[in-house]
Amino acid sequence: MPKIKKPRIPVRIDMTPMVDVAFLLLTFFMLTTQFRPPEEVQIALPSSHSAFKLPESDVMHIEIAKDGRIFLGFDSPLLTGKIFGEQNRLRAAVEVTTKDLPDMLIHARIANPKLRTVVKGDKDADYGVAEDVMDILQRTNITRFNLVTDMKKD
Amino acid sequence: MAGADAGAAPRGHDKKKKKKKKMRRLGVRIDMTPMVDVAFLLLTFFMLTTSMSRPQTMEINLPPKQDGKDVHVEVAESNLLTLRIKEDGSIYWNIAHDDPKKVEFKELRKLMMQNNQANPKLITLVKIDRKGKYHMMVDIMDELNLANVTRFSLAPMEDADQKILQKVSG
Repeated sequence: MPKIKKPRIPVRIDMTPMVDVAFLLLTFFMLTTQFRPPEEVQIALPSSHSAFKLPESDVMHIEIAKDGRIFLGFDSPLLTGKIFGEQNRLRAAVEVTTKDLPDMLIHARIANPKLRTVVKGDKDADYGVAEDVMDILQRTNITRFNLVTDMKKD
Repeated sequence: MAGADAGAAPRGHDKKKKKKKKMRRLGVRIDMTPMVDVAFLLLTFFMLTTSMSRPQTMEINLPPKQDGKDVHVEVAESNLLTLRIKEDGSIYWNIAHDDPKKVEFKELRKLMMQNNQANPKLITLVKIDRKGKYHMMVDIMDELNLANVTRFSLAPMEDADQKILQKVSG
């Protein structure tokens, strides 16, 4: 006994609101994403359980590379240009020597007294270099600084 | 007038033509599917690459130097626990002038907690070999923080310390 065939109603869902939301999210993520600035050296961070967050602005970072080289960088290109000259304005960090570092730190602190110091050391860097850097910081009266670490997973 | 006429003539001509052919306006429907596909692709890309979390940091306060000299703090020897870390990362600890004893990194937290409970006035001195690695310092400081040891200081390892360590490890 054949049933009476109901005429199939074609289901058409209006996709417009979904696409609207998708575009909204897309623009949001596109605008908020900040790509990591190109780094001068690759640094493998040590890990710790500390939960302090890196401050967002007014950061001066001292990087200690694996081979013991020291880099100094600022988050604002303006200050980078002021300290290292205009040609280095857009670089993330510039290599410095332990001899120049104290003067640069002092100049930077004069230019922006709100500057916060962050030490970013490679986990396989020699402790001696880190000790020198900390000694310099202490001598230039930067007694409060942060060490950048990764979150330890356990 | 003539210009107006000349302008009007072709219009009338057009009208006639339109009437003749009767072009029907096609409903323009653009297929949006590829665009939406791309939009979603980008959306997922940005969602996955965005890192909302900023890196962790560890805050450190150093004692200020006065006139370029270390400030000397008198500490009773019995209240001083020294941690010495050798180049290879092995840890030796002692209180006052005891012989340094080796301790595994895993045991360090427990040891520090016990010692600090036994003597709340204990001050920890961390001496790391210059040839050691940076992560040793971070690890040790992390362990000390976890053991609630807030009063510790870093000191350079001197020859005397090296000699003590050599004597112990043979």
